Amino acid sequence: MNLQPDDFWTFSEWLLRPGSFLESAMLQGVVLIILAIVLGLTVAYVISAARYGPGEGFYAVARAVRDFLFSDLPGTSPRRIFALARLAFKEAIRRKVLFVIGLFVVILLLAGWFLNPESDNPARLYISFVLTATNYLVLALALFISAFSLPQDIESRTIYTIVTKPVRATEIVLGRMLGFVGVGTAMLVPMGLASFVFVDRGLDHTHYEVVEATEENGVITGTTDYVRNHRHTFTIQEGETQGLTDIRRGHRHVVTRKDDGSFVIGDPSGHLRARVPDYGEIQFYDRSGEPKEAGIDVGQERLAGGYGSAGISRLIGVAKGTRKLEHGYVEGGTLGMAEFTFDNVTKDRFPGPIDVDLSIRAYRSYKGDIESGIRGSLTIKNPDTNAESNPIAFVVDEYEIDERRLPLEIEGTDANGETRTLSLFDDLVNEDGELQLLLRCLDRGQYLGVTKSGVYLRPAESTFAWNLTKAYISIWLQMTMIIGFGVMFSTFLSGPVAMVATAVCVLLGFSAESIYDTRYYIDSNIERGGGPIESLVRLVKQDAQTTQLDVEGVANTVIKSADALIVYTLDAVATALPNLPRMVGTAEYAAGGVDIFAAILARLAVATFGYVLLAFLISYFFLKSREIAA
Amino acid sequence: MNQSTAFRRKLIYLVILIATLVPLYVLGQPSDGTEDSGGQLAQMRRDFEISESDLGEISPASETMKLASLGLRGVAATLLWEKAHEYRVMHEWDRLKASLNNIALLQPHYDKVWEHQAHNLAYNVSIEFDDYRQRYEMVREGTEFLTRGVRQNRKAPRLIWYTGWFYGQKIGMSDEKRQFRKLFADDDILHASLADEGIAVDSNEALGPYQKPDNWLVGRLWLNYGYGIVDGGIKIRRQTPLNFYETGPKWSFKYAEAIEKEGVLDQRAISAWTRASENWERFGSRSIPTTSPFTIKLGRVDELRQQRAEKVEAFRALGTDIYDEMKQERMKNLPPDLQKVLDKAPEDRTEAGKQAVADLENYQPNMQEVVKRLPAAKQLAAVELMEEMKDLDARISKTEGYRKQINYVYWNSLALAEQEDRTVNARKLIYDAEKANADAEIDLAIKLYEEAFEIWAEIFDDYPILTIDDSAEDLFQSIRRYMIAIDSQELPPDFPLTTFAQMMNNEVGIQDAKLYERVRNEQAELARKRKEELAEEERRREAEGDSAEGGEPDDETKQSDSNAAGAAEPMEEAKEDAPGDGETKAKDESASNESADPEMTEKPANEDKSATDKPESDKPESDKPESDKPESGDQPQTEENSATEEKGGDEKTSGDEPPKSDESAGTAGNAG
Repeated sequence: MNLQPDDFWTFSEWLLRPGSFLESAMLQGVVLIILAIVLGLTVAYVISAARYGPGEGFYAVARAVRDFLFSDLPGTSPRRIFALARLAFKEAIRRKVLFVIGLFVVILLLAGWFLNPESDNPARLYISFVLTATNYLVLALALFISAFSLPQDIESRTIYTIVTKPVRATEIVLGRMLGFVGVGTAMLVPMGLASFVFVDRGLDHTHYEVVEATEENGVITGTTDYVRNHRHTFTIQEGETQGLTDIRRGHRHVVTRKDDGSFVIGDPSGHLRARVPDYGEIQFYDRSGEPKEAGIDVGQERLAGGYGSAGISRLIGVAKGTRKLEHGYVEGGTLGMAEFTFDNVTKDRFPGPIDVDLSIRAYRSYKGDIESGIRGSLTIKNPDTNAESNPIAFVVDEYEIDERRLPLEIEGTDANGETRTLSLFDDLVNEDGELQLLLRCLDRGQYLGVTKSGVYLRPAESTFAWNLTKAYISIWLQMTMIIGFGVMFSTFLSGPVAMVATAVCVLLGFSAESIYDTRYYIDSNIERGGGPIESLVRLVKQDAQTTQLDVEGVANTVIKSADALIVYTLDAVATALPNLPRMVGTAEYAAGGVDIFAAILARLAVATFGYVLLAFLISYFFLKSREIAA
Repeated sequence: MNQSTAFRRKLIYLVILIATLVPLYVLGQPSDGTEDSGGQLAQMRRDFEISESDLGEISPASETMKLASLGLRGVAATLLWEKAHEYRVMHEWDRLKASLNNIALLQPHYDKVWEHQAHNLAYNVSIEFDDYRQRYEMVREGTEFLTRGVRQNRKAPRLIWYTGWFYGQKIGMSDEKRQFRKLFADDDILHASLADEGIAVDSNEALGPYQKPDNWLVGRLWLNYGYGIVDGGIKIRRQTPLNFYETGPKWSFKYAEAIEKEGVLDQRAISAWTRASENWERFGSRSIPTTSPFTIKLGRVDELRQQRAEKVEAFRALGTDIYDEMKQERMKNLPPDLQKVLDKAPEDRTEAGKQAVADLENYQPNMQEVVKRLPAAKQLAAVELMEEMKDLDARISKTEGYRKQINYVYWNSLALAEQEDRTVNARKLIYDAEKANADAEIDLAIKLYEEAFEIWAEIFDDYPILTIDDSAEDLFQSIRRYMIAIDSQELPPDFPLTTFAQMMNNEVGIQDAKLYERVRNEQAELARKRKEELAEEERRREAEGDSAEGGEPDDETKQSDSNAAGAAEPMEEAKEDAPGDGETKAKDESASNESADPEMTEKPANEDKSATDKPESDKPESDKPESDKPESGDQPQTEENSATEEKGGDEKTSGDEPPKSDESAGTAGNAG
């Protein structure tokens, strides 16, 4: 899993962005709310003024605001909200939305045909499939139930039976939202359970027999049969009846030797992980040992990358340059290296040897020895005293997570330059609890590639079930957000239109990144197909993306400026909308066997709360205005 | 709008609806299972044998996928394709494979997709791994993907050909060929699945020297399977038949070369070469469709010539007097040198003389004029004969063109040369010498080297064509190592391969045909002069009172040697240069040298008669396999062919060399 810079932000970093406040989420939220209030008031005043005249209109708006602040909001009763929520819940159930669970089960049943359990990392395919399937299904469901309910009530006039009771508009809106969220939750739970069972069962397999076993000095080594494109080797130590197989495709089995000499191979274990990573700061050094901002680019193809999420700063054109993190390479046999600085390395967090996981790529600039892989080394260093351990050599294991351990005692050179056995915590960790790992490539002329997320310490391990739950919480948050939007639109639009409007928001949210990217290309004059009109022209003319637009004169200017206008507008809209791909992205963590960071969930939760609050405010005023009209 | 207009509009809609239903019905009516039933689509499905029920494996997954895309299969496949590319860039191999799988489920009968993506996996993705075992896995994945395509497209011989190509070329010619070939030989699981596909991996046809399946031979079995299908009446699409058919026999050459490289230098190598030779011969007698309306057989060009000569004779017989008269007229205008050559009996002519005479065909009387002068009764028969000759000419030139394109003669003589004990022995000596050298047993190495070079010199004398072979370069490397071993910058004066070494040293780039040609010309000239001197010496010795028979046995041994090898061309040369042939001959030779290209004498006689048929025109662009795909290390087939095309002319022999970069890189790697 290749993480992007903003994935590493802590919650407060995300909220405040120390150093570049323009990118902060807080600013984005505040601006959005102020904008909404200003815009709301203006529109409300214009409408009221048209209806009641300029003077009376002003009072109408002022009254609405006063009502909201002084009577409706304080007078909102949780009991009534709950009653309305129950109503919405029942109504939704009566509309047979539970059918979606059945649909989900059918999808799961069919999914077995398309997911290949024989692939290199089946866990990843399975988990990301169930999570994305759930995600899209639940979003679609939220869209439908939230957008149609209110307009239908208004149309069939059942709403009057409610509004004639002493309920407030706040309660109606909140009741709907809560009711639908309740329905969604009631559906997410069984879907989550089904997903867990599906993944667990889908990855389960049995090796039936041991095809080869030899005994030497009491140590038994053997090979299992070939199932799902792999076989394991195992060793059973002298005097023991049980042994472990090697790790293949992310899992291993327990092999038990029975009294009659036959073997029993247990169920797979270890393919469903939730590693809790502790990332460090990365610093590259070039071949002469000079610090560099990035590693060497070995010229591998990269995905197009734009600004990423830079918040308001992108919108007003302050953000510069691409922000995609790519693999940086260090040259072998030179002073080039990647230095990772980890903090908070304490005995409490790491009671035993320190687990360190490596995901490193190798790049050969010449063929070299084919049969042996590229070698690298890890050196542990104290950032203050410069005490260094002897390098720990390894052979690169690409596209796997290579799990290693840093010993507590290791030979090395201490602060005075003497060679002796160093204690990890006493000699190699400084007083602030910092420790450095130096990654070098040992083969001259060959390269090792790494990103910030390529080397991390693993102080703990969470459970897969909890991690899956967190992924589901992320889906739940998205659902809540969509329900908020749906209810908001349904207060002033008819059912289908409200649904389309919500769907447009969702789609814009999903394509936010590509809109940012398009803007990035337009800003920095990179030919990448341009905006919508230019793309259309290119499609018709069958021109390549990266050529200059083959249109001369005024037409060119018109196309380019119209495109810029469209893209900038879309950019502004997309910035105002939730960044849904990021939310869906939590599935990647679960699939990649990495514990979903609490910071990320917190960010999503706060963003959701913000958007729902906004939706609630807008809904309230629209409903209020309709009541006035009615 | 009143009621009647509304009604009229409804009627119009109805008519349009019905009108569009008619073609839909004609196109889409399903077949009821009997012959010729069903609409156009059903028929086409049957013709191409792609209706799922024919395949005996209705794939519910594929059908579900198609249904789920709601008729937007193309769009879905395009999106997946885009995704697949993205995954490749992000190095998400598992997901890449999953998307490829889904594309294949959506559009299982788009054979180019199978080909492209299989190539993607086996060539582009595999090289991203550092561990050669992982690379092999990916090559296998790619090949198995292709095999799936073969299973689902019964009428796509090119897919089968491509599978055979993968098994041979990718496993057998990559940088890591040594490792790949070993992994393949030990890959029992793959062997089992190949056996399921009907490839007899446990038959003698597929087993290598150690009784394990060999990738080249398995590749050949695939190709043979493809040939079987085409022989069964299925058309070759998107590929020239020549290219399609030549690969199978070539794989048996590659097999022999590969096992020799790996040190199998005994009877097994000889039988591999014998088999290669047989396969090449069988290839020569196969009817190959051409761009012209007729088919040709590459090995039967001599028969065609014979037939043509017979026709000429018959033509002449029709009007002997007129024909000879006109011929005489023409002959009178010839230069005296040529006339002299013509006066001699064909078997007495020198090689150069023959060459010159061959050109004299142009001095034959114009047939049309002969026909005009013939009596009316014979004219019809004469015209018919002329037509037949014209047809034969076309066939001959086409055959020649095709032979040139794939370097037919080179492979033929290569097989002949290599199946000799002597050649295998020479290779063995070199192999042992290299080993001894690597083990620092310098004295032994030098001894073995010298022994080997002696034999190689003989081999090159008999088969000059081998000097431009790929292995010649290896030999040159051996000579260099020998020079290091004897610690000398210069070769010893009596070094048997001096000319070869100089020649190899001269070629800065063997691709430079012009330079290479010049060097070879000089060499040929020098050799001839030297041989003349030798002959002169011999004669002097004879004259110095030795008995007349003295020189003969020597000559005969040489001849019989060549006969045993069965190489027609070099034998001719040996005869020509045989000492004791008398003075007139020497004169003849010098005379004809003036008119004919001296280099021709060294060349196989029938190799470049036709200059009219340009192979380029026969080779459509589209046939080049995947030249647009990036590859590392492996040169695709087309480069061989296009090299042949570019060089054209006289230089055909070097044109069809097996890809070099790989080989030389391998050598360098091994040496390092």
